[in-house]
Amino acid sequence: MTRRALAPGTPRIAIAIVFGLLAVSPPFVSSFLQALLTQAVIYAILAMSLDVVLGYIGLASLGHAAYLGLGAYSVGILATRHGAGFWVTLTVGVLLATAVAAVFGLVALRATGVYFLMITLALGMVVWGLAHRWVSLTQGDNGISGVPRPDLGLPWSFAHAIPFYYLVFTAFLVAFGVLRGIVRSPFGATLVGIRESESRMRTLGYHVWLHKYIGFIIAGGVGGFAGVLWAYDNGFVSPADLELSTSVEILLMVALGGRGTLLGPALGAGLIVFLKNLVSVYTQRWLLILGAVYIGTIVYAPEGIVGALRQWTKGERAWAGR
Amino acid sequence: MGGKVIGSILAALVLVATWGPGAAWAQKGPIKIGFLAPMTGGAAQVGKDMVNGLTMWLEEHGHIIAGRKVEVIVEDTQGQPNVALTKLRKLVESDKVQVLAGGLFAHVGYALAPKVDEYRIPMLYPVMAADDLTQRKPARWVVRTGWTSSQPSHPFGEWVVKTLGYKRVVTIGIDYAFGWEVVGGFQKTFEEAGGQIIQKLWPPLGTTDFAPYLSQVRRDADAVFALMVAASSLRFPRQYADAGLKARLPLLGGGTTFDEFVLPSLGDEAIGGISPLIYSAAIDTPVNRRFVKEYRARYGKVPSYYSESCYTTGQWINDAAKSIGGDVEDREKFLAALRKVEVPDAPRGPVKLDAYGNPIQNIYVRKVEKKDGELWNTVIQTFPAVSQFGKYKPEEFLKQPVYDRNFPPCKYC
Amino acid sequence: MREAPALALRLADVSKEFGGLRALDRVSLAVAPGERRAIIGPNGAGKTTLFSLISGETRPTVGRIALFDRDVTRLSPHRRAALGLARTYQITNLFPRLTALENCLLAVQALTPVKLHLHRALTRYPALFERARGVLDAVGLGDKEGDAARNLSHGEQRQLEIALALAGMPRLLLLDEPTAGLSPAESHSMTALLKKLDPAITLLVIEHDMDVAFELTDRITVLHYGRVVADGFAHEVRANPLVQEIYLGAP
Repeated sequence: MTRRALAPGTPRIAIAIVFGLLAVSPPFVSSFLQALLTQAVIYAILAMSLDVVLGYIGLASLGHAAYLGLGAYSVGILATRHGAGFWVTLTVGVLLATAVAAVFGLVALRATGVYFLMITLALGMVVWGLAHRWVSLTQGDNGISGVPRPDLGLPWSFAHAIPFYYLVFTAFLVAFGVLRGIVRSPFGATLVGIRESESRMRTLGYHVWLHKYIGFIIAGGVGGFAGVLWAYDNGFVSPADLELSTSVEILLMVALGGRGTLLGPALGAGLIVFLKNLVSVYTQRWLLILGAVYIGTIVYAPEGIVGALRQWTKGERAWAGR
Repeated sequence: MGGKVIGSILAALVLVATWGPGAAWAQKGPIKIGFLAPMTGGAAQVGKDMVNGLTMWLEEHGHIIAGRKVEVIVEDTQGQPNVALTKLRKLVESDKVQVLAGGLFAHVGYALAPKVDEYRIPMLYPVMAADDLTQRKPARWVVRTGWTSSQPSHPFGEWVVKTLGYKRVVTIGIDYAFGWEVVGGFQKTFEEAGGQIIQKLWPPLGTTDFAPYLSQVRRDADAVFALMVAASSLRFPRQYADAGLKARLPLLGGGTTFDEFVLPSLGDEAIGGISPLIYSAAIDTPVNRRFVKEYRARYGKVPSYYSESCYTTGQWINDAAKSIGGDVEDREKFLAALRKVEVPDAPRGPVKLDAYGNPIQNIYVRKVEKKDGELWNTVIQTFPAVSQFGKYKPEEFLKQPVYDRNFPPCKYC
Repeated sequence: MREAPALALRLADVSKEFGGLRALDRVSLAVAPGERRAIIGPNGAGKTTLFSLISGETRPTVGRIALFDRDVTRLSPHRRAALGLARTYQITNLFPRLTALENCLLAVQALTPVKLHLHRALTRYPALFERARGVLDAVGLGDKEGDAARNLSHGEQRQLEIALALAGMPRLLLLDEPTAGLSPAESHSMTALLKKLDPAITLLVIEHDMDVAFELTDRITVLHYGRVVADGFAHEVRANPLVQEIYLGAP
């Protein structure tokens, strides 16, 4: 095993405490905080999914809101027009996002760096444009309202904030478990290798493109998963969810929390959701504060918050030793 | 997921640092109004106009409604539906407001309406104008004190044919629901009165360079009807003049193309522009003259229809609360009272609601003129007591689909 | 069992142009299985370009390349690696932020189907770890497995390069100046390490140090301005007057 953290237990204990709080605290906080926690957890799933692309493959995408939108519109359209239930919308949402990622990947992964950024941006705008202009299906920029909370045939109703939170939290645990498994698998190791040196991976015998492609598709699918929950949470879907600013926000969540750490992006998502919604209750200068947080991160923790913590506790970015 | 914890701590720190403890919600008994508006982001200036309107009414009346103190909690929607929804939840569940008001942008209106019904709390929409909010998808608890997008267009379309005598018009409308509804309403009555829309152009939202569209405008038209909003309103008249069109084709518009929000930023190229709306700062009544004077004294600018509508919304809440003896906690009673309100002397003129919860009010045809070095929307025609359905029967009108890009179809293009 | 190929590597009239510059000019080369061959020549002779063409990182302008009797001219690098080709780089090309062990693990799993497994943690594949540690031990880095590659000394990084190349159990190994920048002592132990390699591995070595080249290999190919100017056993090449003139600098 590689030499790990000096106090290898510390981060795990901290993580366990946070997870514990997330599991236990919601019934005891105000309903506004419950709403923010729900949003934060959904965004955490989204940010973790983007982390596969940004943190593990090493490509910055500016089109990730597209998958959020595909998942959300699947719910919006199927639930309001066809009365589809949770499992149907979930399946369609995830499959649609996965399929679109499979197509977009063919186009986007021809490029790297800033070109990848621009292509994903353009592809994201295509989906936004569809949502905006395909009025007969999406109701244009008026959006689709009146999405009911899901009914899973369970004895409690997800129309209430607390059960819905636990549904979302469970979804988060599932997404986290799946993504964590993937990044720690041989496949995940391959992605890290590609991030570190694509050319070396190629001569070692890796079909680099194929691995990137698979990673890209997984990120899209999980992004769609978050979108499904997002639509149920808001009860509303509109092109605003797919705007460039949403994609930028997700990217910042990942960068802020620490790319390539999975939990870091989740943390970043929580931070930004709270800054955006809670701090803006108290001051209109919340954007200034958000800006200061970004700059502080870039200057003092270029690897993001969790990245910095790991360096601080001497825990390498190692995956082999765990 | 330390995000929540760190986020809360950070938020708490910020709260302590910037505001200090002991904010508002301690006293007992005030009527709490939750007000949603974009206070940051691209539409922050509109949000400010909205808050100013409501604040002015409350200040003029000592923050007292029906003998009770009034407290307004303003929440920033950032112009985004999901933020608006979150803030709505905060206002209702944490702040326990008795009545809600505000909101900007149609999608925010559509996002909020079902939630407002779910909470069973009355919400007044002074600005959000999407037609279907009070037509095909009305919400029981939403009371609109503003207008529907197509409401001013209906009398205007007919008037353009009958009074101005224009028979062939090209439309240029920003390509989103509000644009479709304003242009659609105009097209419907304009064509029914014998006019012909010979070309419809749809620049996308956020367009600032209109040259590609202006070069396509058919020169065999009698006039151009343009529907602009925000940044595009600021740029359009100049570009229209620069393209050499101003001299050849008179410029008509939707209300927002020339409203008081953009007039101070426009130059002489806007002079002569004709547009209909529920309000003009130049309405020559004692009530409005006083309102404009007072508003200018407070905020240093001419009130926009956003300000007027929110000002009247303050009056509206007052009148309803008074009529039920201040018992706003009885929400059903309060809602019923809100729907019965008639304001005979709002700055914009008399206002009352139709059965669908949308104001029946005057529509003013305004012409941009220069007076004392400033641009004003001189009222050249007043249509009294216009409903959102114009001269149509509601049941008949609602059989047609909501106006969109392709409805009414362009028969003469 | 694979049938023994007639040739491990064959280049037929391979040329490579960069813009107007002809880096390699009608190079033909035949390397038998198990052969140890040195490629020498002054700077700019086209040696590294030759390696890039063989590994597939660049494509020849004209000419054919065959590995183990199979035409690979159009094959991508990873497909060639799958045929049993591995290479090292003159300028160290490692995964600097990963540990030595992680570097080797990537190399070990490269040619196994495991690399596409995403349902199970890497740590659940002890065989991979065993082999990764095996190659680390083989190059003498057994006690450095937890060090990030960027924290290793230059000599250790060169050793790790060799380890990465060996991890895939190649049949043909291209070594680009394995002793570049090493101290005499390090150079010596590197040479000893390379001499111990499985004799079944075909070895192609670019080397500046003539002593190392002569010690490691039995045949030598001399490149000059992109052309093969001499090819033969060490003593023949050494005796070639042209080689002496252009390369060894002796008249």
